[in-house]
Amino acid sequence: MNLPELQRVTRATFFSRLDFRTKLMAFAAVSAVAALWDNPVLGGILMVAVLGACLGVGVSLGYLGFMFRVMTPFFLLLLLTHGLFNVEYVLRLTGRAHLTPVLTIPASWPAIGGRFFSREGLLYGVNVVFKSMTFLLLIPLCVFTTDPNQLVVGLVRLRVPYKLAFVVSATLRFFPLIFGEIQAVMETQRLRGLALEDMGPIQRVRVYAKTSVPVILNALFKAQQIEVVMRAKAFSGDPDRTYLEDSAMRAPDWIFNAFLAAAFGAALWFYFSVGFGRFVG
Amino acid sequence: MGDTLPTADAIATLERVSYIYPRSERPALLNLDLSIPRGQILGVIGPTASGKTTLCLALNGIVPQFYGGRFFGRVTVAGLDTVDHPIYELARHVGMVFQDPETQIITASVEMEVAFALENLKLPAPEIRARVKAALEAVHLEDVAKKHPHSLSGGQQQRLAIASALAIRPELVVLDEPTSQLDPRSTEEVFTLVREISRSFGAAVVIASHAAEEMAATVDRLVVLYGGRITADGPADAIYSDLQLLGRAQLRPPDVTAAFFHLAARGLVGTGPLPTRLDDGIRALALLPKAKPFRPEAEPAFEPGALPILSLRGVSHTYWDGTRALDAVSVDIHRGDYTLILGQNGAGKSTLIKHFLNLLAPSSGQVLMDGKPVASYSVNEIAHRIGYVPQNPDRHLFNSTVEAEVSFSLRAADLPAAERARRVDDALEALDLVRHRRMHPFALSKGDRARVVVAAILVMEPEVLIFDEPTTGQDDWGARAILELTKGLHARGKTIVVVTHHLGLMPGYARRALVMGAGRILLDAPIRDAYHADAVLEQTFLKVTQVVALARASENENYALTPAELAASFA
Repeated sequence: MNLPELQRVTRATFFSRLDFRTKLMAFAAVSAVAALWDNPVLGGILMVAVLGACLGVGVSLGYLGFMFRVMTPFFLLLLLTHGLFNVEYVLRLTGRAHLTPVLTIPASWPAIGGRFFSREGLLYGVNVVFKSMTFLLLIPLCVFTTDPNQLVVGLVRLRVPYKLAFVVSATLRFFPLIFGEIQAVMETQRLRGLALEDMGPIQRVRVYAKTSVPVILNALFKAQQIEVVMRAKAFSGDPDRTYLEDSAMRAPDWIFNAFLAAAFGAALWFYFSVGFGRFVG
Repeated sequence: MGDTLPTADAIATLERVSYIYPRSERPALLNLDLSIPRGQILGVIGPTASGKTTLCLALNGIVPQFYGGRFFGRVTVAGLDTVDHPIYELARHVGMVFQDPETQIITASVEMEVAFALENLKLPAPEIRARVKAALEAVHLEDVAKKHPHSLSGGQQQRLAIASALAIRPELVVLDEPTSQLDPRSTEEVFTLVREISRSFGAAVVIASHAAEEMAATVDRLVVLYGGRITADGPADAIYSDLQLLGRAQLRPPDVTAAFFHLAARGLVGTGPLPTRLDDGIRALALLPKAKPFRPEAEPAFEPGALPILSLRGVSHTYWDGTRALDAVSVDIHRGDYTLILGQNGAGKSTLIKHFLNLLAPSSGQVLMDGKPVASYSVNEIAHRIGYVPQNPDRHLFNSTVEAEVSFSLRAADLPAAERARRVDDALEALDLVRHRRMHPFALSKGDRARVVVAAILVMEPEVLIFDEPTTGQDDWGARAILELTKGLHARGKTIVVVTHHLGLMPGYARRALVMGAGRILLDAPIRDAYHADAVLEQTFLKVTQVVALARASENENYALTPAELAASFA
């Protein structure tokens, strides 16, 4: 696994050259619109637009595919729960008296027998999946396109305490190390005859639980090593430290922020005045 | 003894220093008195757990300020007491370089990495820029200033760590095992740089390392630590040529010194101080009568007629980022082989091994076990045929007792209970772990943990055992113990593969060597021929051992591999 690529994309694009504060503004505005819109079609378009932006700035397909694979069980769970149980809220949103059955559970099934998946509930589930995907895609879009040092400086300029800003940056750096560690531990377990593909779910959970022992111990050890290294490099968390490359808002940042503000304002106005983005079952 | 008392021109002094880590009863340092003059290169040697790292960490206050524990005595650096002054203040005077290149990297570009400490010290940006430039030029990394540190080789990463330390313009640079994970070329780069630091910057240097040959050629003075105490302190030549002293401390001398010890034992040289540097050895050798041609017949690497158990047929492998790690490699490992796989970091050794273990699928070509594609075997079948001992044993340990760890591998095996118990007992016995069987694996020392992993592999009674860099980070005693274990297993009919870039210890164990470079097999030959193939070794950034260099200097046809053989060639 090539860890730096997981953490940072190096393609020089308009978006990647923006100041981290501008990217945070974009993150906030797009997240707010995604949260506001309940319409699955518009939510899908927004998600595809953010996905396109990710690909445009150079986030790898491998990473996006990995993220989608990891999240798929949660998305399925969202579809199931909304399709099956989200009745009152969807009725209120649509203003209807009844929902449209798509699939009815046999009455003989315990607890959920006789319930049905509704078309409107499933559509609302799709909308929630799109919202979640939009949030998740905004993270690599804004974070991977930013030099970790610029990320720290940007947060400090936003008056986030330096120690906290550094912890955010260090965590981003640490995740790939942990993933690498998990992969290595799973690999070595396989070499002792543990074939996960031949195991049932309970056995797998047991193996994962055992995996956590060396992963946590090695992660703690590495975290301690990194802290020792940082102390040796005069790190004290002092907010008055200086920076080789300071953070600066330039003309493209102001123009992009103005565009964001206008687009966000328009989204709010259309939503509250004509219901643009509301759920339609 | 050397400069043990505080002196006026000392950059650091230790007075009656003892230290006990939290939750430990045994002192890591005990009554240390040491004075480090400005500009001196001080080497620190000692077996594993002798206190080398603790001493290094005490020099910038990390011990005891970060770890806590019980600290006695006084350490001063640049006149500052390391207990009274915070670490970030001491960091203005002491630059640190640690063992693991990867975990030292904090930022995402080479220049930011060097700038990190300077930013913490609140230097103005123009000053930081000037210092970063100068430090990168000093370590010859100015061309990669914008790159991500992870894209550098291990040697370059350590040079970057040194640049980061130099940029603060410290009066003392401390390097703790900086080359233990590096190949010989990178090791040489780091030691060359240490000499340059001392010459150009005038900084005192403290370096702890097991690399006896490079230490002898670099340091002015040596301190021997054993059980947390200083057992010797003096000029490097005097200490490295005192084989009794080194033996008592479980240390090895440079190869050249060992060779002259054997020559002295045969009465071929006087009993005066033995040379500790290669160039001194070659000069001394020129005074001796010419050596005889020496080339014992090579032992066959495997029994005649033995079938290959593992084979690669034209295997290439390209990683997803485009790196071609293997390039049309064809090789057979026969039953009964003891094969060494040599090559620089990144030569393709690990990728090759992962194909044998079916952890990677070839981009093209075939991987066979007993003539059948390795992918056609189940995970369990492969695990019971090929045992893999990784460089980091801790990734293999996930049970709560040593016994559970060793028996874990048999959980999926269809064996009667009595047979399982016998195998576990045999493995614990073979690895001298019976007394630890009820202990938690992580409660053991690193050397013992490595033995637990070997026991957990042995219990499956695999035909092939692959050891990945088994001697890395081990002292001489630990490395020999592991290699003796491989020798015993080989004698019991196991096929052994050892992956390493440390050539010095392997003669006497391996019979065959595969030299890899840039994803190819550059040479497949008996170990004696491979060790003397200097042009091939050079291609993969390895260099001949000191014994081989001495043999070649003495006689063109002298193919000696060990100090004893070299001495025999003069008889």
